[in-house]
Amino acid sequence: MRKSALIDRRACLKGLGVSLALPLMDTMGWADTAKGQAYKPPVRLGFMYMPHGVIMDQFWPADAENYLSSPPPALESLRPVLDQCLTMKGISGVSIAPFNGAPHALELSTWLTATLPSADKRNEINIAISADQIAANHVGAFTTLPSLELATMPQNWKENQEGLNEGYYSHCSYRSPTQVVPAEINPRNVFNRLFRKPEQHGDGRESTQVNALDRSLLDIVLGGARDLRRTLPRSDQRKLDEYLDSVRSVERRIAAIEYRQKEAALEKAGVRASKRNATDSPPIEIKIPEGDKRSEYMQVMCDLNVLAFQTDTTRVSTYIGSRPNGASYPELGFSDQHHSQTHHQNDPEMVAKVAKITEFNIAQFAYMVKKMHGLREADGTLLDNCIMMWGSGLEDGNEHTRENLPFVVAGSGGGAIKTGRFLPNTKGNQGDLLTTLLACAGIPLDRPVGIATKQFEEIKA
Amino acid sequence: MTPSDTVRPVSKVPVFLRLSLVLCLVSPCGARAETGGADHEALKAESEAFFSDRVTPFIKNYCIACHQNRRPTQAGVNFSPALKAPGHAAFHDQWKRAVARVKAHDMPPEGAPQPSDADRRMFVDWISKLKYLSEKDPGRFVIRRLTKTEYGNTLHDLFGVEPSMADGLPDEVSGEGYLNSLSPLQLEQYLTIADRVLDRIVAPDDAPPTEVQKRLFGEPAAPETGTREAAREVARSLARKAYRRPPTQAELDVLVEAFELGRQNDLGYEQSLHLMLKAVLVSPQFLFITPSGEIESNTRIVPLDDYQLASRLSYFLWATMPDNELMVLADSGTLHEPEILEAQVKRLLQDRRSRALFDGFGAQWLGVGGLDIQVFDPTVFPQMTAEMRDAMYNEARLFFESIVRENRSIINFIGGDYTYLNRTLASIYGLEETVWGPEMRRVQLSDGNRGGVLTMPGVLAATSFPNRTSAVKRGVWVLEQLLGEHVPAAPPNVPVLDEQVQGTVVDLSLRERTELHRTNPVCANCHQILDPIGFGLENFDAIGRWRDRDDNGEAIDAAGELPSGERFSGPEDLKAIIAGRIDDLAGNLVEKLLAYALGRRLEGYDEIVVDNLMREIAGDGYRMQTLINAVVTSYPFTHRRIEEERSSNEKKRAD
Repeated sequence: MRKSALIDRRACLKGLGVSLALPLMDTMGWADTAKGQAYKPPVRLGFMYMPHGVIMDQFWPADAENYLSSPPPALESLRPVLDQCLTMKGISGVSIAPFNGAPHALELSTWLTATLPSADKRNEINIAISADQIAANHVGAFTTLPSLELATMPQNWKENQEGLNEGYYSHCSYRSPTQVVPAEINPRNVFNRLFRKPEQHGDGRESTQVNALDRSLLDIVLGGARDLRRTLPRSDQRKLDEYLDSVRSVERRIAAIEYRQKEAALEKAGVRASKRNATDSPPIEIKIPEGDKRSEYMQVMCDLNVLAFQTDTTRVSTYIGSRPNGASYPELGFSDQHHSQTHHQNDPEMVAKVAKITEFNIAQFAYMVKKMHGLREADGTLLDNCIMMWGSGLEDGNEHTRENLPFVVAGSGGGAIKTGRFLPNTKGNQGDLLTTLLACAGIPLDRPVGIATKQFEEIKA
Repeated sequence: MTPSDTVRPVSKVPVFLRLSLVLCLVSPCGARAETGGADHEALKAESEAFFSDRVTPFIKNYCIACHQNRRPTQAGVNFSPALKAPGHAAFHDQWKRAVARVKAHDMPPEGAPQPSDADRRMFVDWISKLKYLSEKDPGRFVIRRLTKTEYGNTLHDLFGVEPSMADGLPDEVSGEGYLNSLSPLQLEQYLTIADRVLDRIVAPDDAPPTEVQKRLFGEPAAPETGTREAAREVARSLARKAYRRPPTQAELDVLVEAFELGRQNDLGYEQSLHLMLKAVLVSPQFLFITPSGEIESNTRIVPLDDYQLASRLSYFLWATMPDNELMVLADSGTLHEPEILEAQVKRLLQDRRSRALFDGFGAQWLGVGGLDIQVFDPTVFPQMTAEMRDAMYNEARLFFESIVRENRSIINFIGGDYTYLNRTLASIYGLEETVWGPEMRRVQLSDGNRGGVLTMPGVLAATSFPNRTSAVKRGVWVLEQLLGEHVPAAPPNVPVLDEQVQGTVVDLSLRERTELHRTNPVCANCHQILDPIGFGLENFDAIGRWRDRDDNGEAIDAAGELPSGERFSGPEDLKAIIAGRIDDLAGNLVEKLLAYALGRRLEGYDEIVVDNLMREIAGDGYRMQTLINAVVTSYPFTHRRIEEERSSNEKKRAD
């Protein structure tokens, strides 16, 4: 599918893959910094997921002292930036009773909600707003996109576990307790969504005009939708609210694009509107891979995540590196599915395959954060101003345990987190971690995330 | 060494959806949901009495002490609300789970007072009566957004553009489990796609208008005659098609406003109409199936209006918008009449668009929907090319369609003696000498081991590992997809076979190895059903080719015995045994198709509906069109529930 996607006229061919050019290249800026103030880049918050847990003795560092000098095999790819990373052991997941037969349906859905689905309404979506969407509610208004959701596999896995709605299986982001946020799996669509102006009409009107017209048009449509809403029964009204909410969100997005376009015009005219430093790195290049190598696919999505953060197009992202069940890694030299290998029962061959898959996934995360580390921003690097969490919803896929969920946090969130450490005795749950990370990102919280009871003070700087 | 089948033992909860088979038992009440009202009321009264006399004391004596409205409730199970409204759909799962635990002597736990065997049996047997406690109810209903597929097809029917215009939308689960949600991501796509549609159908400046333009917007108007009134007429015809019902005056006002917006921005008449079309394409009336009029707030259950019904029917069987004939019937207000509805079902099924029923439902049911992306080890099975996968999918599709369009009995899904092949696929059957060319064509089968979905290469491949067969997966497929039983997942901490008897296992055949399942009592319960079925199909390799010897060169022994005592010596016998369970096959197919048609899980009163449909279907030789008809004319397909909250809110406002 990716191969056959249309090549648009803006794109230029380079090498094997297609490079995408940024139309708003010179218009990056922190829209929320008031004039005259010193510029402090905002904190960006990213989450990247791998299903099915890890091989524990390959993942957990042997001890805190030698964490930096001899990291465990699974974290080897992070070695160059390990001093910017924090690994914690002792963080438990949500206990899944009474859904004991649904370990995989609950991996992703509990990961950022730290909440179990409602047992009474298990066949619908009824869980809790996820940590990324809590963050998007606070910082989303400052950027073109409130949040960015990425994945590499369609979110349509159909397997009924414990009568739970199939949506739980492949979604980690929830805008509200009853509404999933779908992810984009096509890199070109992601790019267009992030940066492209709305498509030009045949009549050649300027795109700013199109934007303005779209906004007015959506206003009119919104009015009509409200009329319709009044005539509908209550349950239908709630469904239509999702529509109204989406329209308003798109209107805000168009407004943000207009704002940036104005800035660009001003800059072209010699008025310096941007608050970015002249020394900041230029936006990275996006190359759409041509083949179907999983590493290239995962990396272009990483690149898009980096670019979205670098250009302050969004400040919140989730990236489902792969979905529970269905992923395989032919480029590692075997065709077995990830899930089937995780029930390895200590069979050395299967253990080795799971370890390889885990290393592979963490290497993609490392690719992303190393790239961020290589980009100058203000007085430091892009990574300095990010909090990138990598993790899995199980510790041991073999036995479905969730006592010590694997987490790696990269970036200090503008100095809020003390990195370069392994904390072997963190006592708490995944809700505590999410609450802490949101706090470190400067998100005001009116209540803890899911099952959280506290924040981990020990991870803060 | 290859990874071995994970043992799938019965967890402590046995196969509780044996219960679903209860659904298929013929019970003595009336013929149709709509007409069976009085009988249902009588049964309901009877089972309410039974519940309060027998079941309530049982729960109070043995369960409630730990499982009640007081925190902490044990295992999150609380019987207090369920006792108050035992027939409420929300509690059906809870009751079934409870019965399963009690049946397995799992509950009450050791040390707690135990019921007598007779009491235990009473509680277990009662579960088959649970459904009679349900209120007559068409079930949960919320206006539904078009799926990605439906949206693409609808654009095609409206504008003649390719359905692939919708490719950029996120993929989603269809049918039962459909999320029916909408996010900014989707709305952005709808806007973008609307622009693309306009680009495609609007002729360049100075060129004469396209046919689509003429059809949608009428003849180009001279600038001075391009009036509001003319635009309103265009809006009326446009909205009627795109909203799949006549627009209201208010809806026309909105569209004319969109037209005016264009005029105010110095767009010409046509260009302003294009803007209006864009408004149509991002309106909820286009994106959702909405009622054609305001629903009275004081009724709890209403029939769908004929336009909604036309859409529901058309999207169910065609995955696209209703055609003109359906719209005309909706206009006349007669579509809901059973004879007319049945005639329309017949017509829609004969149309090639009904292929959507396989793509949306059949492929999911048979499990072949993922064949195109399923991983096969290319060194072991180089035959699994894109062409081969395509042919396997199409074989299943054409076979399904033949049963639908020729109105055959569903027994043919198991016993059919014909199939569809092209040269590529014929090689799997060893028929490459007789079937030529890339076109799929109908082929009569003489080999009794072939024919039917059970032995179809697509199905056999979909239930295999990348490099070898899985007797367990095949057994689970037969039980779950064909017979409608629920097989619990194996607990994670059960050792796989290799580990249990390390060293010795390597020398055993797959069959001998898998039979070890049955020496372990934890595993035996399920595997004594699963494994024999899977072994009965061992003569087919992981991509469906016949073989007499397995991967280790051992002769294949496909004989077996089911727990029921039925013996078989190979695939042909096994097919006959499965075909003998026609009630289970039909019951399962009805349940799955009804859930797909309703876009939700079945619950509560739906069980009664399925009972009624089953009688209808059995009475007509289990014919496929009768089955589809029964679903379309069923109570939950033709009616909707209105949530109660609204009326109470309205009252508040009125006060």
